[in-house]
Amino acid sequence: MKRRSFLNWGTAGLVALWSAIGVSMAAVVRFLTPSVFYEPPQDFKIGTPGDFSFGPPTFLSEEKIFVFRDREKGFAVANAVCTHLGCTVGYFQSDDQFHCPCHGSVFSADGKVLHGPAPRPLEWFEVTLARDGQLRVDKDHTVPATYRLMV
Amino acid sequence: MERRLPQFFFVLSLIVLALMLAAVWQAGTPTWKTYQQEFHRLEAVGEPNAAAKSDVLNADLVIRQDLLPGLQRVDRCTTCHLGVEDPTMKSAPQPFAFHANLAPHVPARFGCTVCHGGQGLATDQQNAHGKVAFWQEPLLPKEYVRASCGRCHKEGDVPGVPELTEGRRLFETQGCRGCHKLNGVGGTIGPDLTEEGAIRRFPEWLERHFLDPNTVSRNSPMPNFHFTKEQARALTFYMLSLTSEQMGSYYSSVRLIPSAGYGRELFVEKNCIACHSIGGVGAKGGPDLLGIAKQHSPGWLDEQLVNPQTIYPGSIMPAYDLETNARKAILTFMASATAEDAQSILSARTKALTPRDAAIEAGKQSFARFGCVGCHGLELQGGVPNPNSQGGEVPSLLHASDDYTEDEVIKIIQNGKVPPVENTTRPAAPLYMPPWKSVLTDEDIHRIADYLWSLQKKKDAW
Amino acid sequence: MNPIRDVWQSIFRRDPLSTDKGKSEFVFLNVWLHIHPAKVKKENLKVKHTFYLGFITFFLFLILVTTGVALMFYYRPHPPQAYQDMKDLQFVVYMGSFLRNMHRWSAHGMVICVFLHMCRVFYTGSYKRPRQFNWVIGVVLFLLTLALSFTGYLLPWDQLAFWAITVGTNIGSYAPLVGARIRELLLGGHTVGESALLRFYVLHVAVLPALVTLLTMVHFWRVRKDGGLSRPVWKLKQEKAPQLVTIGAPEATAVLTAVPASKDKTYGLMEVVTGKPIFETISVEEEEDTVFSYPFAFFREGIALLVTVATVMAVSIFWQAPLEELANPAKTPNPAKAPWYFLGLQELVSHSALLGGVVVPGLIVMALLAIPYIDPNPSRRPADRKWAIRAFTLFVVINVVLIVIGTLFRGPGWALVPPWVHIVGAE
Repeated sequence: MKRRSFLNWGTAGLVALWSAIGVSMAAVVRFLTPSVFYEPPQDFKIGTPGDFSFGPPTFLSEEKIFVFRDREKGFAVANAVCTHLGCTVGYFQSDDQFHCPCHGSVFSADGKVLHGPAPRPLEWFEVTLARDGQLRVDKDHTVPATYRLMV
Repeated sequence: MERRLPQFFFVLSLIVLALMLAAVWQAGTPTWKTYQQEFHRLEAVGEPNAAAKSDVLNADLVIRQDLLPGLQRVDRCTTCHLGVEDPTMKSAPQPFAFHANLAPHVPARFGCTVCHGGQGLATDQQNAHGKVAFWQEPLLPKEYVRASCGRCHKEGDVPGVPELTEGRRLFETQGCRGCHKLNGVGGTIGPDLTEEGAIRRFPEWLERHFLDPNTVSRNSPMPNFHFTKEQARALTFYMLSLTSEQMGSYYSSVRLIPSAGYGRELFVEKNCIACHSIGGVGAKGGPDLLGIAKQHSPGWLDEQLVNPQTIYPGSIMPAYDLETNARKAILTFMASATAEDAQSILSARTKALTPRDAAIEAGKQSFARFGCVGCHGLELQGGVPNPNSQGGEVPSLLHASDDYTEDEVIKIIQNGKVPPVENTTRPAAPLYMPPWKSVLTDEDIHRIADYLWSLQKKKDAW
Repeated sequence: MNPIRDVWQSIFRRDPLSTDKGKSEFVFLNVWLHIHPAKVKKENLKVKHTFYLGFITFFLFLILVTTGVALMFYYRPHPPQAYQDMKDLQFVVYMGSFLRNMHRWSAHGMVICVFLHMCRVFYTGSYKRPRQFNWVIGVVLFLLTLALSFTGYLLPWDQLAFWAITVGTNIGSYAPLVGARIRELLLGGHTVGESALLRFYVLHVAVLPALVTLLTMVHFWRVRKDGGLSRPVWKLKQEKAPQLVTIGAPEATAVLTAVPASKDKTYGLMEVVTGKPIFETISVEEEEDTVFSYPFAFFREGIALLVTVATVMAVSIFWQAPLEELANPAKTPNPAKAPWYFLGLQELVSHSALLGGVVVPGLIVMALLAIPYIDPNPSRRPADRKWAIRAFTLFVVINVVLIVIGTLFRGPGWALVPPWVHIVGAE
């Protein structure tokens, strides 16, 4: 084998090979990324606006969310999962606050941490009106605490 | 070869790279992505402004699935059928069209395949519609989809699917059980039909089979019942509903749809009119029931049906053993029952049957239900071929009283009878009277004998 | 002072590849490659000598391990989820069907190539002294390959898998004394069910690959120890008279040992002697027919790898591995066939279970193992081994014919039906 010819063809061949390896590495990562989830969906419908009352929020236990309905401002959906270590918080009408039973975190009605070990305020999820008239919550999209869906 | 080796190496590396890219391209361009992009374009048309349009057009392309552990399925149909819950897509072309009358059977709770068939796990059209080898549940043709209602709603009427009720009725009265087992009861000449809806979801085959068994199942011993097209369809519906998959309690709780019609049947069956009146028509033993649904909460009424003693200690109303949906059905009937209903129930009762006539009627129902009809015929005429038995066929029962007393017939029904053999060198006759004493109660057998004798008497009257 | 160069050279400590020393060190100092000698015989590199079948079999094994591990991320060895996971791989997982196809076609390829490799070794007489035991190891590796293929066959849990393994384990149960016990151990029960699937899975992903790896290491090691791949020495240019090597201590007057220089030995034997030992090396005329492993052997093996990978990838893009309906113990397909490499056995079994299932395969395995020990002919030249070659060829042809019959000519009820006749299945 002539060294020079090998260096040209061989190097070019190696470049092609390393590219193939690079592509396959990226493909492996994509392969390992799940395309479907064997879990409850992040994006779901909760019913029509008429199903929800004004005043204290409605708690949906399966979806772990609080649905607020305000006469002037409309709908808002809060995550019922405490930002500390993941327990489900409860809403208390007596003081209009969320209390976490695990380590005592307390959140105001708009999710701000009042006291306790929680590091961040409660998340608010995007809620939209789907075309069949139902409310649609998307846990993959968080929104600021001031977000409201006017219906 | 020596000199060409570097070039060969280079060409090979290129080929490997090209194949890698081809595999990546193949994996990255499934057809469902094309469908989703098209749907987004359709959606964008309905969006009010450019920002909203662009949001929709650039939305992620993802496989959508409905996880249904209670039905033991995973349905991915909504990956392409994106418009099923979108009323603005009424006139969109398939696969994007809107599905009318979905509620309460929404995809998130029910998926699609439990009603429509198909392969929910698949994500391309041909595989998903199940029209491939090795998938036993292909998409049901439109006209048969309603048969799937019977997969969950196994008892009572299903509103909008009269074929199921008719099919069930035909099955019980035409003597199918004489040859076919269903849920453990029946004969063994034909195949067990308990799972027929699971193993043979081919409606065209089933319907042709009912119209003439020999056209699809050569040399089948099943006789041609000369069903009409409607009857064959009704029976096909019933067959398609015969599945026994494990279902979560959410689904199995609706075995029986609590409709007013079914409630009325129960009202008659449990003889409520014997103590109650509706709008003044009926008996005076208990309170009048007109408008009762408006006077009490559903919970209170339900408790009354479960255990009347808790509401009125000392009440003479019995505690009926009714399941949840049966009670719901009665209450649904109560919500709309009027004096006219009570009157029609009463008049049906005043053509009251004497104990003997009641026994004959019961005997007639047992005769049909347990498959006696299959060998002895609807009119007791016999005639089913039975090689090497005397006469070569199952005998008619119309003249049984000429040869036997009623007690002897009762003994025969209890213990069975092997038919007399004409030619001992040939095999024994294949059909014989089986013993029924372990299947039917003595009372049932007496009533059947009464029924048989009621027909004998008529003949003698001639 | 170049820090990057320092880091680089702390990792790659060899001399530059432009030097002979560097070329030697490329294999000698590399843990993955040091099974190679620094120099290999030119003859051994010729494609038409070995067809690189051993390498191809090994590369297929590597492909199987990598694709297999990838598939393990999505596969649950529990019925019926196993079947659902196969569907998920086909429809939902990115490149899932491609990887599964790669795995299945490599598996079939490995069975074929290990068999062809065995044929090549036989036809070149490379099992003869001193390589007898390596042949035995090779036969064991062949059987392990079949076992790997068999255990993997069950994992999709479809009708094809379920009934093939039912038939296969039933054939095995005909072995006298131990047959039923082995079947019980394999199945973890009386029938093919959850326990069988789990046991087959563990065998397939852990036990058997470990055994194959360990034995492959021994197999390669012994090839090296036996002096590298065997070559058609009778074709070499004239053989030189053997030269003598002297090994001695400086004070000794007599020569300790004189041994003929061996063209096959690559190492000299070191002994502990009193005093200071001296070594004499022979002149390396035999060096004329050797070349450096790097780059000659290395790139040829690389090309063999690329050809293997490219072929498997191409086949996997265009041909889908089969997946039939969910396994149904109540419904036997007609006919129910074992995997193709066992169809020859099933054909024999259809005539006599004991003969076909136990006696014949038992005899075949024992005969294969015994070949190096019952062959008295020391010559590897084809002209001197006509009958051995004929006998082996007959064995190969019979196998192929039986497998072809079992695959193409047996229909429902195991009746002889030519493949061009369309069989209408009973509804």
